[in-house]
Amino acid sequence: MTTQQAQDSVVYSASLADVQELGILPKTGYLVPLKTKDELLASRETFDVYVVEVPAAFASAVLNVVRKAIPDLTTVNLQHLRRVVQLSFLPKQLQIQFSSAAQAWDRGSTTSQAVDGLGATIQPEIRYLLVSPTSLIALPNLLDVLAQNPPFLGSPVTPQVFTVPVPALAPTSSEQALQWSQEYWSISYKNTNPYGPHPSLVARNTAEIEPHAGTWLALAELAGEQIKEQGLGENIGCVIVDGTGKEEKVIAATGDTRWCSPDKIASLHRDGPGNVMAHAVLRAIAMVAKKRLRIANGPLESESTIVSSDSTVPHIFCDDPHTPLEHRFYLADNLTPNGYLCLDLDIYVTHEPCVMCSMAILHSRFRRCVFGRRMPLTGGLTAEIARFQESGIDEKKNLPQPSGGLGCGIFWRPSELNWKFLAWEWESDGGDEDRTGAVEDSIQA
Amino acid sequence: MNEQRGQHERFMREAIKMAELALATDETPVGCVFVKDGEIIGRGMNDTNRSLNGTRHAEFVALAQILAKHPVTILKETDLYVTVEPCVMCASALRQYGIRAVYFGCWNERFGGTGGVLTIHEDPSVDKPYPVYGGIFREEAIMLLRKFYVQENGKAPDPKQKKTRELKTDIIPLNIDTPKSY
Ligand SMILES: [Zn+2]
Ligand SMILES: [Zn+2]
Repeated sequence: MTTQQAQDSVVYSASLADVQELGILPKTGYLVPLKTKDELLASRETFDVYVVEVPAAFASAVLNVVRKAIPDLTTVNLQHLRRVVQLSFLPKQLQIQFSSAAQAWDRGSTTSQAVDGLGATIQPEIRYLLVSPTSLIALPNLLDVLAQNPPFLGSPVTPQVFTVPVPALAPTSSEQALQWSQEYWSISYKNTNPYGPHPSLVARNTAEIEPHAGTWLALAELAGEQIKEQGLGENIGCVIVDGTGKEEKVIAATGDTRWCSPDKIASLHRDGPGNVMAHAVLRAIAMVAKKRLRIANGPLESESTIVSSDSTVPHIFCDDPHTPLEHRFYLADNLTPNGYLCLDLDIYVTHEPCVMCSMAILHSRFRRCVFGRRMPLTGGLTAEIARFQESGIDEKKNLPQPSGGLGCGIFWRPSELNWKFLAWEWESDGGDEDRTGAVEDSIQA
Repeated sequence: MNEQRGQHERFMREAIKMAELALATDETPVGCVFVKDGEIIGRGMNDTNRSLNGTRHAEFVALAQILAKHPVTILKETDLYVTVEPCVMCASALRQYGIRAVYFGCWNERFGGTGGVLTIHEDPSVDKPYPVYGGIFREEAIMLLRKFYVQENGKAPDPKQKKTRELKTDIIPLNIDTPKSY
């Protein structure tokens, strides 16, 4: 390190203003939080329930009868499903089905007279009652129970029971609750998410990082492009940001160097995957580690003491900066001392990281991750699953078509993977040129 | 068959030696060797604590050694012997590199990528799947990890805490393959 560089490293904090000075044009768009694996599982699961038509005044009485007749009702979670619903609050197809089968409560129904007290000519208000999951009681038994109690007892109206599929688990957003209400049954939404990060946590973090996310992604693109231009890797870039202080700081910016040979030149044969350990994410994580070692050992410590004694190893890990841009951020001594791995740091990647890189982000204890383009064939963060049967297999390449994804959802599987972080994909508003498309779908980012 | 088994055990002994070396240098004791045509072409041990890099697992350290001398294609004819099941990250890296087969000692209940938690070795992917064989010298692999936790806890300042952590010789599932976090 020259004296000049050493001085720069003290002064240069790699703040937003410093990055803006590089002439980087922020990408325009917004952040979309990823759905977790459990959320998606929850959203797909349904079960059948019985529904019965009753006059509104009898709804709670019938519910009590049902509760007594089906003691197992307490073991199932129906809290997200409204139990007593008016016709107009039901999905269109149920409205049609139910009204075409509507019962004649006004004709000779003594029970309805008893309730409204205004005579037999007035049609009572009708409600649709969600009785129970079909698994808890056989239909003939249910019909028996209903017939032996008001309003059916002694009435010419016989109970009419419908079978309807409903979502098995609670919705995780108000949008989902609304959609399900139009699709299945009237749903109640409490502002909570048992299958992923709490909505308020997501909202707060989205608001916090959204203003500059476009700048960090643009910087990641530039870092990737510069290395790609040297023929050393794919057009994939990564930026690590410390967002804990008053001012966000760039800790590392890297491109992908999978095609860089051990002697640091572009490989002539691009056989297979190249150097998988030189993906942009792994290089950025490695540079954070080297910066930590530099802080721990003092700024003037020779680099040779902080790499393995086997001098060939660092070339393969590609954890030295390759471009002036990578250098600039690598040299900035802007990490908080005594930090642990990448705890509390954020990572921005131009493409959805592969399974290896997604897990490397998890191992490194990152706080938040944002990526640009989804990689349905190789990405490890999204939880959506490809529908192989529906979409078919590309015969030539024997690859699944990019319709869903691998379904890993590595960012949020707390019961299995022992660490979790928040993750978003970037949705461009179409205002700027998409430069992430130069990478093939089958590439592992 | 017996001869093959002897081969597997011989290479797993070498992997255990690497794990012992890791233990001696205060790293989580996970060790591995990569084998091509009956020859060991790379050795690795966990290196996360020294490097301050949570991704420097034994497999990566050995792979870096191999790729410094050989083309990437050599891995298609290479088998891995590792004392602990590869984590999700390493399982994916191995699949991308096209590893031929993986032999491991104990399962990784916390981060395992070849059956312990996820099944990255055989899930739908653009890369060729690979077979895995677990349980070779499983007890030895687990004992090394236990020794590590006892050793680490021995350094804890609170003597009360120390007393509660004794060396247990029964084999129960463990949380492993993770950088220590104090
Ligand atoms: Zn990757
Ligand atoms: Zn690993």
